[in-house]
Amino acid sequence: MLLPRRMWTLARKLLLHDRLRFIVAIAGVSVSVMLVLVQVGLYFGFMDTASSLIDASKADIWVGKKSNDSFEFATPFDERTYYKVASVEGVDRADRVLINFAQFKLPDGGDLGAQIVGVDTTPGKAPLLAPWNVVEGDAQRLTQPGSIVIDKSEVEKLHIEHPGHITEVSGVRAEVVAMTSGIRSFTTSPIVFTDIRTARSFMPNLGADPITYVLVKVAEGTEVATVQARINALPHLAAYTTKQMSMRTRDYWSSRTGVGAGFFTTAVLGIIVGFVVVGQILYSGTLQYIREYGTLKAMGAKNSAVVKVILSQAMISAALGFVVGAPLAMGMRAAMKGANLTVALSPELYAVTLVITAVMCAFAALLSIVKVLRLDPASVFKA
Amino acid sequence: MTAALALSESFPPLSAAQGTLARLVGIGKTYGTGENAVAALSNATLDIRAGEVTLIEGPSGSGKTTLISILGLLLTPTAGEVWIEGQNVAGLGERALPGLRARNFGFVFQGFNLFPALTALENVAMAIQMKDPKAKSPKGEAKRLLELVGLGPRMHHLPADLSGGQKQRVAIARALGGNPPILVGDEPTAALDTKTALSVMELLRELASNAGRAVVVVTHDPRLERFADRVVRVEDGLIQAIDPVVHA
Repeated sequence: MLLPRRMWTLARKLLLHDRLRFIVAIAGVSVSVMLVLVQVGLYFGFMDTASSLIDASKADIWVGKKSNDSFEFATPFDERTYYKVASVEGVDRADRVLINFAQFKLPDGGDLGAQIVGVDTTPGKAPLLAPWNVVEGDAQRLTQPGSIVIDKSEVEKLHIEHPGHITEVSGVRAEVVAMTSGIRSFTTSPIVFTDIRTARSFMPNLGADPITYVLVKVAEGTEVATVQARINALPHLAAYTTKQMSMRTRDYWSSRTGVGAGFFTTAVLGIIVGFVVVGQILYSGTLQYIREYGTLKAMGAKNSAVVKVILSQAMISAALGFVVGAPLAMGMRAAMKGANLTVALSPELYAVTLVITAVMCAFAALLSIVKVLRLDPASVFKA
Repeated sequence: MTAALALSESFPPLSAAQGTLARLVGIGKTYGTGENAVAALSNATLDIRAGEVTLIEGPSGSGKTTLISILGLLLTPTAGEVWIEGQNVAGLGERALPGLRARNFGFVFQGFNLFPALTALENVAMAIQMKDPKAKSPKGEAKRLLELVGLGPRMHHLPADLSGGQKQRVAIARALGGNPPILVGDEPTAALDTKTALSVMELLRELASNAGRAVVVVTHDPRLERFADRVVRVEDGLIQAIDPVVHA
């Protein structure tokens, strides 16, 4: 909006003239901005967590059973299916993955459900899915039977402090050979990486040589979609690109758990709070200066000029509210990190929130704008 | 003198040479319809001339405010003609009126209506900019006008730090922004003590005499008549008389 500097000055001074009202307006917008950023950031954080294993893989295609609803609770199939997928034309490489739950023995004798991720660790071959962000120990040792990798964020839950710790998973001996950072499961069960053969030994009840996913790397020069279609033609199997698989998992957790609706409802409530506070402040300010606005209109000021002054006040409120609210959200993110909660604040989220804030404040100014548009300039003669 | 009743056909066209800046011809204003109709003003005819101070006097509810509201293009008459810039503007739509008002009128009110958050200079400069967004130097023009009304030393003060008379001078400077030929005042001295009221009226008189402006002031105060050239007496919605003021 092109507005002469003097109009901005007028808008700013009108806002600042009543300091208390100005502080309330900025506080309202700031709380709104913070709520939107934190709630949407938390949602994206949860979703990032839900799809982190998929997103971290180097596969082009994930193949699972057609009947699978959820990534974590996938139905296993046997190894013959793996060979069928591996022999599809255009498949350069296929890795087996087994994901399921098993009981992790705690030092105090208790058990804790853990999400076991068994990956293909053929020596000399970089796996399509492997532990990442390794901060302690040696993840290469996963090739050795009984080796496991856990995340540092789970040390309190698992009572494990360093690699070298010996424990049992489903009664089978396991040694922590490495630790990662920031790998957590949406289900809140600790993720335990291991070799697929070890994983199978942790889950003897799944039958012979179970697999839940086949990860596919497509041969160079071959269309991913073409290979995906060929795999989909195989009976009982569904092939998704890594991006599709990631979105599918996010959608599952977002819709099935209601987590998306919950976070977005709170974010919308934040916007409503900001809208009401800014609307009320702008309207009371407009009423306070209604005779002055009427005088300007009487003297020939166009409606658009007066409306611009009110909109400018709304935009100043939006900008300052964002400047205060965004650091508050960053502070909340830091505070929540201690509670193992991820608030994913991206530049895109900041940009979208800034736009939402500006739109919210502009809409909040509507009542004031209608008031001055309807203001009869002759009313200034009626003392 | 009884107001002329003839319609515009009886009048020669407006011209700068004659000094007539605005003309009301057979103006009427009725509020409501049917049995509820109330005639606030009937058959009012009046010329506004450059260099003249015209007082409009009359009891409350007589139609004074309606008369200057129509003259200032703030109210549309239900009958008659309003001639400004050589054209009858009585039937013009709301879109055309702000520009006409900005070019032709400055308004001064009893309550000053200054933005309390802005200094005297900012109040005047902002009004200049609002009237004409393309104004070259609103601040420089505002300074000049504030010096003209004797407020140069107080131009950086907020209205709260100014006396009533000083505030009204700021309002007059604001009304002069854009150099309109007609100043319309609605009881501009009513909120002021006698001495201040007279000094404000003296200023308006000077603006008419020296700058060739027309000044039209609604007042209840007969002491102001000594600054006027004519007194228009309004009663029961009619211009009862237009009396020239004879100065000793």
